[in-house]
Amino acid sequence: MSDIKEEDWNLPPCKYECEIRPKCYCIISYGLVTNFKMSLFVLDLDHTADIQIHAWGDTLTEAFEQCANAMFHYMTEVDYIEMRESYDIEVEGHDMVTLLYNFLDELLFIFSAEPNYIARKVKIEEFDTTAFKIKAKGFGEEFQLGKHPQGTEVKAITFANMQIHENEGKCEVFVILDI
Amino acid sequence: MVVRPYNEELEYLERKTPFKWEIKKGFQPNMKVEGVFYVNTFLEKLMLEELQNSCRPGMIGGFLPGVKQIANVAALPGIVHKSIGLPDIHSGYGFAIGNMAAFDMDDPQSIVSPGGVGFDINCGVRLLRTNLFEKDVQPVKEQLAQSMFDHIPVGVGSKGIIPMNANDLEEALEMGMDWSLREGYAWAEDKEHCEENGRMLNADSSKVSMRARKRGLPQLGTLGAGNHYAEIQVVDEVYDKWAAKKMGIENIGQVCVMIHSGSRGFGHQVATDALLEMEKAMKRDQIEVNDRQLACARINSNEGQNYLKAMSAAANFAWVNRSSMTFLARQAFAKQFKLTPDDLDMHVIYDVSHNIAKMEQHYIDGKLKHLLVHRKGSTRAFPPYHPLIPVDYQLTGQPVLIGGTMGTCSYVLTGTEQGMNETFGSTCHGAGRALSRAKSRRNIDYNDVLEKLSQQGISIRVASPKLVMEESPESYKNVTDVVNTCHEAGISKKTVKLRPIAVIKG
Repeated sequence: MSDIKEEDWNLPPCKYECEIRPKCYCIISYGLVTNFKMSLFVLDLDHTADIQIHAWGDTLTEAFEQCANAMFHYMTEVDYIEMRESYDIEVEGHDMVTLLYNFLDELLFIFSAEPNYIARKVKIEEFDTTAFKIKAKGFGEEFQLGKHPQGTEVKAITFANMQIHENEGKCEVFVILDI
Repeated sequence: MVVRPYNEELEYLERKTPFKWEIKKGFQPNMKVEGVFYVNTFLEKLMLEELQNSCRPGMIGGFLPGVKQIANVAALPGIVHKSIGLPDIHSGYGFAIGNMAAFDMDDPQSIVSPGGVGFDINCGVRLLRTNLFEKDVQPVKEQLAQSMFDHIPVGVGSKGIIPMNANDLEEALEMGMDWSLREGYAWAEDKEHCEENGRMLNADSSKVSMRARKRGLPQLGTLGAGNHYAEIQVVDEVYDKWAAKKMGIENIGQVCVMIHSGSRGFGHQVATDALLEMEKAMKRDQIEVNDRQLACARINSNEGQNYLKAMSAAANFAWVNRSSMTFLARQAFAKQFKLTPDDLDMHVIYDVSHNIAKMEQHYIDGKLKHLLVHRKGSTRAFPPYHPLIPVDYQLTGQPVLIGGTMGTCSYVLTGTEQGMNETFGSTCHGAGRALSRAKSRRNIDYNDVLEKLSQQGISIRVASPKLVMEESPESYKNVTDVVNTCHEAGISKKTVKLRPIAVIKG
């Protein structure tokens, strides 16, 4: 745990949805302000066992951060999370896909085991795209029944149809969570 | 993946009997055996629609339909007999959910796949009976439902209330239900009526990662979320009076308790760890599969053996978990009725596992074979006289518990000889999803679901409101269709139908 700085109090806009369709479901359900963009991909991705996150941003860093936020927001209602303390994580992978996988898996782990940490937002501080390493900070608190509404339990991150698209000005990621 | 127009795809499928379809070799590349799936006319429509949707032009990298997944499994090294789809099949990760396949242990090429077990290792159903009848419970139904909800920790982020430290966990992983028995959470008779007597002997907790232990420890004795539930049910119909009597079910209206849960975060992490390891092993051993999600390793490789040992530890975890909740449910009933669980005759009727891989012996073409049988969303259903079923059920066949979804019926079936010959003694496991979770939330109204449940006289306690829509009966295939298909096809036999009166969910 480390101190929360002044600029860390700014919340990012919501740039994700939990399935691909022309309307952003999560934004409506959680009542967040957003600068929502139309999805580029039109796929029929209604899957019966799992949920798919589609997150995007101006840079890959932002898209990864958004993806992490989306996962936490699926577990509880985000407005109830206070940013009381920060939590540092470090992950690495052997390519982009495993890096994203390990990044989300680590966040799922700190939620599921001690310290049961849930983040209001996740900020990537160092993103090494050649050595595939990420240093990130979560801003949130310990999950407490009674304070945080119970959302859906995420069993695991999957590699199923995982996609990372890096384009000038718009980066997108797609991740399927097993729930 | 081979993409052909829908009508060409259909040429590979053939209806063999009114309830059975065959998938011919060539439907997917490298198929070593044929595929088969069991459906009735209604379920058949769902199956083929799914295939038709995936054949639309412009489909890129979407989800594979169930039939394609059955065929991909048929292409795995070492598979014997057939790749089998049960009536509740739906698309899953690698293997479809409701897909079972057996691999020859004596063939050095044979593989074990964590995808063939699923993330929730040893997810299963347990049924307890009571000597109460509906009229005894109706007046206090709400209090009883609330009491169950208060006793059993449910939903995301909940923690177990059974005191556990790291040492206890270690012992529980090795001993399974023997641990519960020693600590006083289970009865000696419970073990008798549980697959494998509630303990996998090849479990080795040293093959389990620290991450899995850390995720597992706080979650032992919790129900979980998603489709997991604890229900108070009453016997609605008895199809086989004699077999029902053997299970201690005497009459219509008798009250039972059903618990559906698994190995929680512990099993999820064991599966995740194994998938990452096997990715590497596949490259090394040059195992070729049709779908990258079918991560697997040779049974005799280090990775394969480590997974089997860790999986068995997770299976033990799940049995301890269900035993702990059985203890809590017994306490809830005892407090409500001011009688001991013994006086209430709260015995375990049976406990089945529907996400597991087991070493079993089966006859193939008259020869006895040692097989590694993967059952993912599929329940073991051994016939009468099989040596691995408890003495109480030697004459009836193994009880098979089929859980419904919120508000729908559940069934007890028994295993048959025909099932043993056709499906390695396996049958369906539940309703099987028909709508995606997202679709359920958009199309189904929260209040409508609650209204409907209250009209049916069902009390409900749910930790997460979103689940009400996602788990509503409309989101699932009709469990009655699924069970009837299994019955008509002869792979298991209907014994008892149960109707819920109170549902406790994550």
